[in-house]
Amino acid sequence: MSTPVSRQSLGDWLTSEQPVSRSQARLGQIWRTWKLFSGNRLGMVGLGIVVLLVLVAIFANVMAPYDPLLGGDLRTERLLPPSWEHLMGTDDLARDIFSRVVHGARLTLLVVALVAIIATPIGLLVGTVSGYFGGWVDTVLMRITDIFLAFPRLILALAFVAALGPGIENAIIAIAITSWPPYARLARAETLTIRNAEHIDAIRLQGASSPRIIWGHVVPLCLSSVIIRVTLDMAGIILTAAGLGFLGLGAQPPQPEWGAMIAGGRRFIIDYWWVATMPGIAIFAVSLGFNLLGDGLRDVLDPKAGK
Amino acid sequence: MSQLLTVENLRIAFPSRKGPVEVVRGVSFSLGRERLGIVGESGSGKSQTGRAILGLTPVSGTATAERLEFDGINLRNASPRQWRKLRGARMSMVMQDPKFSLNPVMTVGRQLMEAVKLHGGKTEARDKSLAMLEAVQIRDPERVMAAYPHELSGGMGQRAMIAMMLITEPDLLIADEPTSALDVTVQIEVLRILDRLVTERGMGLVFISHDLRLVATFCDRVLVMYAGRVVEELDARHMDQASHPYTRGLLNCLPTISGDTRPLPVLARDDAWLE
Amino acid sequence: MALIDIENLEVTFSGGGRHVRALTGVSLAVEEEDSFGIVGESGSGKSTVLRALCGLTPVTAGRISIDGKPVPSPRDQAFYRRVQMVFQDPYASLHPRHTIDRVLSEPLVIHGLDHVEKRVEQALEDVGLGAGFRFRYPHQLSGGQRQRVAIARALILEPKIILLDEPTSALDASIQAEVLNLLDRLRAQRGLTYILVSHDLAVVSHMCDRLVVMQSGEVVEELTREALQAHETTQTYTRNLLTASAGFTRSPARPR
Repeated sequence: MSTPVSRQSLGDWLTSEQPVSRSQARLGQIWRTWKLFSGNRLGMVGLGIVVLLVLVAIFANVMAPYDPLLGGDLRTERLLPPSWEHLMGTDDLARDIFSRVVHGARLTLLVVALVAIIATPIGLLVGTVSGYFGGWVDTVLMRITDIFLAFPRLILALAFVAALGPGIENAIIAIAITSWPPYARLARAETLTIRNAEHIDAIRLQGASSPRIIWGHVVPLCLSSVIIRVTLDMAGIILTAAGLGFLGLGAQPPQPEWGAMIAGGRRFIIDYWWVATMPGIAIFAVSLGFNLLGDGLRDVLDPKAGK
Repeated sequence: MSQLLTVENLRIAFPSRKGPVEVVRGVSFSLGRERLGIVGESGSGKSQTGRAILGLTPVSGTATAERLEFDGINLRNASPRQWRKLRGARMSMVMQDPKFSLNPVMTVGRQLMEAVKLHGGKTEARDKSLAMLEAVQIRDPERVMAAYPHELSGGMGQRAMIAMMLITEPDLLIADEPTSALDVTVQIEVLRILDRLVTERGMGLVFISHDLRLVATFCDRVLVMYAGRVVEELDARHMDQASHPYTRGLLNCLPTISGDTRPLPVLARDDAWLE
Repeated sequence: MALIDIENLEVTFSGGGRHVRALTGVSLAVEEEDSFGIVGESGSGKSTVLRALCGLTPVTAGRISIDGKPVPSPRDQAFYRRVQMVFQDPYASLHPRHTIDRVLSEPLVIHGLDHVEKRVEQALEDVGLGAGFRFRYPHQLSGGQRQRVAIARALILEPKIILLDEPTSALDASIQAEVLNLLDRLRAQRGLTYILVSHDLAVVSHMCDRLVVMQSGEVVEELTREALQAHETTQTYTRNLLTASAGFTRSPARPR
């Protein structure tokens, strides 16, 4: 074939200084960010852990060798130490701990995802609206935020769960309700510096309405720092969920929630250390993963870290 | 005339994704007790040249030179200790924006006196600071001494900054766009102070600026930089005799109050200038 | 009757119990297709006049009318179709996460104009950039190119009045010449009316037929370009500005 097609590698196409379409420009931008991020080794480790968590959650049925809820023979299979048969040993109800940890990933991911989906938009919306309009809107919204901030997160979550009744759903709602105020504060602070920027004046002079300015111009600039903050908070959210589970106010038995599993194993911690340790390691690894990912994202996305 | 500063084949490179990029490519000049102007547009390497003389090249960059001598001292392999003794005491730098160069949580007076104490006697620090503020035409030195940097106007802040840099009576001053953030009328006053220091104290001054017209009227000699190289060295009195097309283009493209050329002549860049 | 008429404009900023009078009774009249300059140093209130005119800064007292009709407050969509502004800092006036395409098409969408594609390409052509720049992000452009985009954005709604707030002070001298030539050409082609604010007397003298000199919130003097070129000023302040603009002069008392 002699068609004069100038062959371009995908990389060249993505990093082109002269994109010819909207999608090429956008993909190129994502590619550049990815290039930056992939150079960050710890960030990549964090991403790896988080991706692993997602994969484990998706393929829990395939990965888990035993049923997470039904135990084996209570006489012969209780509290067995880790072995090839039971990678993490078994607990006091003769359930395979590895299978429970694998299924627990689903609950953890559910908590993380739902809290992110509920708390982030609330925080962003309250923060940007309050920062953009200022005046009494700002005063009212920020005082409400202050009220939520005034309570320690776990205590407020405890109160909510106590009022709504124990259970994983109520724990998620409680955590979401208590975690948006810092995002609102952050988004407001960012908005205060953005709203006086010349490009906001410029779009205002084009006749844009306030919702359009907030949604199309302010939010995209606040988004990266809020995402960083949410990612870094994930570790805390997982710990809070586990803490509620530990106190018996989160996931209810026999659900394989990591915090509840630690609570269950604490009675035997001296003689059968693995029962409480295995879910503890899982919590530790996932929290670390989110923290590393958040740090990596900050290095790439935070405009103040320098370009 | 004895040379105060000699720079030979100065090169500064910064790493980038496509390998190291040289922003200064073989700059050589020498300075006596005079006003030397370095003019260039953004990205010409003029500021990096000034910083390299004081050993202030950002850590990511590397500066090399065949010779870098200040008053007989070889700066190329000066130890951190030697640098500390030289910087501030014998060579100083004034930057563009005083807001970033003065410590915001210390009064101007304390910062001034600290500079004196670091390099001299403690006893007369205050008197000397007051005298220096007067020397830079600050009318109310007592008030400025007690003020924090943000309480001063741009012109005042810049003068306080200059006072701080000059209180140790350095032999060499690198001024990087010292007046660009100031109004024209204040700008001239600040220049007058620098001018007096050169003529009366015999200080050497490297004046870095993008403003060719200002440099031409203020300095004795002018180096014109383009893309990391000195393309032309000129006597400031004979700017009209500039031979390099870049210098001429720069001079021509400025609008003037009296002139009425329309459209303005535009600088056509030539890749040959890069060589 | 003048196209833009500003009478006794006063602007006071209050905050923390303090009141700062940024403008104290400024009056201007700008004719249609005129290029009008405002010169002053920082704090003279020259930019505040522009910001008050287009509604970015609330007015304390005074009247602003265009074509004899007082401008509505807040400004309506019709106002934005007639008056647009170019800002000082090309690095701050473009949204860092939006492509040039989005920057230029958003005003068209807001005002419900048709042929968005064609208009965007035409606008880029008009400011000498070409369609190749359409899908770039601001960080892929130089300062001069960004300022051209900002000019294209101001022109895309086809306004008649353009407010220029120090449009070239952040640019290198050679780029400044290109942008000034572009502004000159666009005004001639489209019969635009300019109000140009600058601290640089030479730029104002080059661009404007008439100008006012401002100092601490007041108009000190009004001049024509010819009077400025002939140094025919009555005010000491203007004369000082003129002398300072010529560059450094060694005072005669201190001969070299």
